[in-house]
Amino acid sequence: MTSRMLGIGFLSPAIISVCIFFLLPVLLTVVFAFTNMSTSTGIMGGDYRINTEQLRSLPDLDVSEATVERLETAGFQITEAGLTALADQFSKDTAEELREDYLGETFESRRDLERVLKDLDEPIRRTRDRKEAADLFAVTLIGERFGTEEEFRAALGTTGIDAVDHDVLTEFAYTGWTWTTDNFSLLMELPSTLRYAANTAFYVVATLTFNILFGLFLAISTFYLPGRLANTFRAIWFLPRILPPVLYVLMWNWFTWDNGFIATVMGWFGVPAKNWMMHTSTHAWTAIVLINGFVGASLGMILFSSAIKAIPTSMLYASEVDGANRWQQVRYIILPQMRWPILFMTSYQTLSLLTSFEYILLATDGGPGRSTEVWALAAFHTALNNYGGNLQYGFGAAYALVLVFIGIALSVAYLRFFNFKELLSKPRIEQ
Amino acid sequence: MTNLFRQTALVGVLAGLAAPAFAEDINITVWAGGSNDSDSYRIEAIEIAADILEREAAILGEELNITVEGRRDFSGWDEFKQGVTLGAEAGTAPSIVVTSHLDIAPWSTAGYIVPVEDYVDLDAWPLSNVYPNLMEIASYGGTQWGIPQDAESRPFFFWRETLEGIGYTEDQIDALPEMVASGEYTLANVLEDAKKALDMGLIEEGYGFYPRPSNGPDYAQFYQSFGGELVDPDTGKLVLDKAAMTEFYQFFVDAVAAGITRQNHIGTDWNQWYNEVANGRAAFWHGGTWHFGRYAREGNDDFWNTIQFSLIPAGDDDGRANTITHPLVYLVMNQEDDRVEEIAAQLVAIATEPRLNSLHAIQSNHLAVAKAQSDIDLYRGDRWASEATEVLLGAANSQPNHLNYGAFSEAMFRGLEAAWSGVQTPEDAVAEVEAQMRATIGDDLIVR
Repeated sequence: MTSRMLGIGFLSPAIISVCIFFLLPVLLTVVFAFTNMSTSTGIMGGDYRINTEQLRSLPDLDVSEATVERLETAGFQITEAGLTALADQFSKDTAEELREDYLGETFESRRDLERVLKDLDEPIRRTRDRKEAADLFAVTLIGERFGTEEEFRAALGTTGIDAVDHDVLTEFAYTGWTWTTDNFSLLMELPSTLRYAANTAFYVVATLTFNILFGLFLAISTFYLPGRLANTFRAIWFLPRILPPVLYVLMWNWFTWDNGFIATVMGWFGVPAKNWMMHTSTHAWTAIVLINGFVGASLGMILFSSAIKAIPTSMLYASEVDGANRWQQVRYIILPQMRWPILFMTSYQTLSLLTSFEYILLATDGGPGRSTEVWALAAFHTALNNYGGNLQYGFGAAYALVLVFIGIALSVAYLRFFNFKELLSKPRIEQ
Repeated sequence: MTNLFRQTALVGVLAGLAAPAFAEDINITVWAGGSNDSDSYRIEAIEIAADILEREAAILGEELNITVEGRRDFSGWDEFKQGVTLGAEAGTAPSIVVTSHLDIAPWSTAGYIVPVEDYVDLDAWPLSNVYPNLMEIASYGGTQWGIPQDAESRPFFFWRETLEGIGYTEDQIDALPEMVASGEYTLANVLEDAKKALDMGLIEEGYGFYPRPSNGPDYAQFYQSFGGELVDPDTGKLVLDKAAMTEFYQFFVDAVAAGITRQNHIGTDWNQWYNEVANGRAAFWHGGTWHFGRYAREGNDDFWNTIQFSLIPAGDDDGRANTITHPLVYLVMNQEDDRVEEIAAQLVAIATEPRLNSLHAIQSNHLAVAKAQSDIDLYRGDRWASEATEVLLGAANSQPNHLNYGAFSEAMFRGLEAAWSGVQTPEDAVAEVEAQMRATIGDDLIVR
């Protein structure tokens, strides 16, 4: 019992981390994906208001014409009730003057009424006071914000709007987010969806192939080198992984820009200068596969190198005695024993490539012409990057949620494929 | 004696209690997006305004201490906007922000900002002196949310030497702005002249027409050049004019085909871009009024004899020569303490004083927001400010404050990128833009 508790105690940091860094984000992604959350709806909830911009689309709503007219024409009206309040809170003389000259009159906007209050013989002198005084005569709710539904409904009541229309108007006036499945139907509808999916598939497959093959090549070729030389090479090939991504991509930019290294060297041979990363989508894809590939290959190299070292050297010596050349050693001894590490790297890299976009963001930002826009980058652009300012958090989360599901499905598939139980079974020798 | 002592002590204690009761400490934070060193007056004008407001309060016998804290070290607009919106969600938003007028629609709907009209008299000096069209740009849904902080405009530029090389006389070059404005000189002439300059070897391939290398309000100008309208004035809905959009994309495709614009131009490094256009590597390009100062820093201190500027030329007979002004605005953010909002709004109003705003306008090569600024010596004495105001600002329009304009502008630019880089034909790109806009903008879109 105590040892079990101890085990849980040791595991708890891991469990807490998994909850905070994996389960919570996934949960939030699910929640966000089923909302229409954006900059304009805010995250924490909304208020109730109808502004003049919305007035224009009122006729499209299912409300009576009388209501539309009532909302459109209401403004600020000089009424007895308002005048009494004005006399109480400000000055009797002002109220009296206003009654004499303006009783019953309606002003379209508060600013018009403010001007009147300012120009009276007994004016309200301070700006803030004038605004408060004008608000006493408001018979409109246009442009005003109400914190709760009750307040808004009460205001609809006092403005004299037919109770039948209250529900529709309340829903119309709500500025916060609401639950919806529209994000997914929008995903199905958009022509770009299929292209981003195809881009992602191409990116994952091409980069993965490069990763594994190049990682294997590095591992095998350094295996046959003398120890110190091999370590030096491995250290050099490990650089892309330990460099900060921004710096690493910046170096690629210098390398490929139209006044960069390649362009300069090619210039000596009469090739006109061009941007070797962004010239066409083929250039962009090549750059992206290489940029990501070198990072991934370094990890493969380390893993494969240690796996090769685990192969009993006696087998290699025996094969040499039998007259096998290097290629035959690789083909018949090394590769067959590397099956598990290769499969592991494949599955691990598929999952990480699916969701990684930082190198693409820094290098091409999805260009030229969105031809290298992958799914994860589209999620980022939708949710967090928009020149016009209205960020689509909900829709971006819907993009991300698709990735979460693909990731989980692939993980399950890989676990079955690997026969995970067999890998974890106890060594037979101890049974 | 004891009595006197007691009385003195009492007076002392009362005085001690009374003084802090009058003193009021207000902390104002100002965040300015997209600002570099030359834009320092976006924050410093608020500091000067705070000093004035403190003095006004002192005369009325109130002790008002305003501490202004400014921040403009954002790596880009994205970081700034994320900081502001997430801060607003968490209740730690700055008191005043300087940002694009396009943010008014989403931020006011979200309740992040409060209407400046609730705190200041728009009919009083200096706000009554601000250009009415700029005030309009800082309002949304019938409410005055912000106050314009600066104005600018996005002109088309010509390199004089290249034009002379292809046969223009100096008088003809001087007359270009008028010819552009009247529609005599169009984008078709731009293509023609750039091609001529390329064929004569005056410029390198890809440097005939050298546009802005990233998305921005500038590209909507070319849509307008071909007769496109961004918003329908009657219904307030966004407009996708397919014919204008196709021709606008086609212009860039033609420019690539003629070898005067690079196919992979988008994404060119901004520093490289500024340096190239400032020193005559490109024949035609477009930019903003604030480029004037930048070109000087890139080593061109003879702007007037090397560069000509005009409106963006019309594309065809349906279109018009135009330019977009994209003013930044002062917005007051929602705070727990209403008093902070009030002080913030008053500071913004004072900072709009013609003299204070001119400090920013001239230091950063922006245009005036108030009429009286043309009577301020500092502003009037600046040739660029007065000529740019005269040639450009009269014909300038702005992008609409609309909740879905961001989606509209993103879709438009993506389509342009796809056509420009040869991934799609202009027709296919427009078809996809239409599908994208119909799906994301829906009822708020009119397709023509």
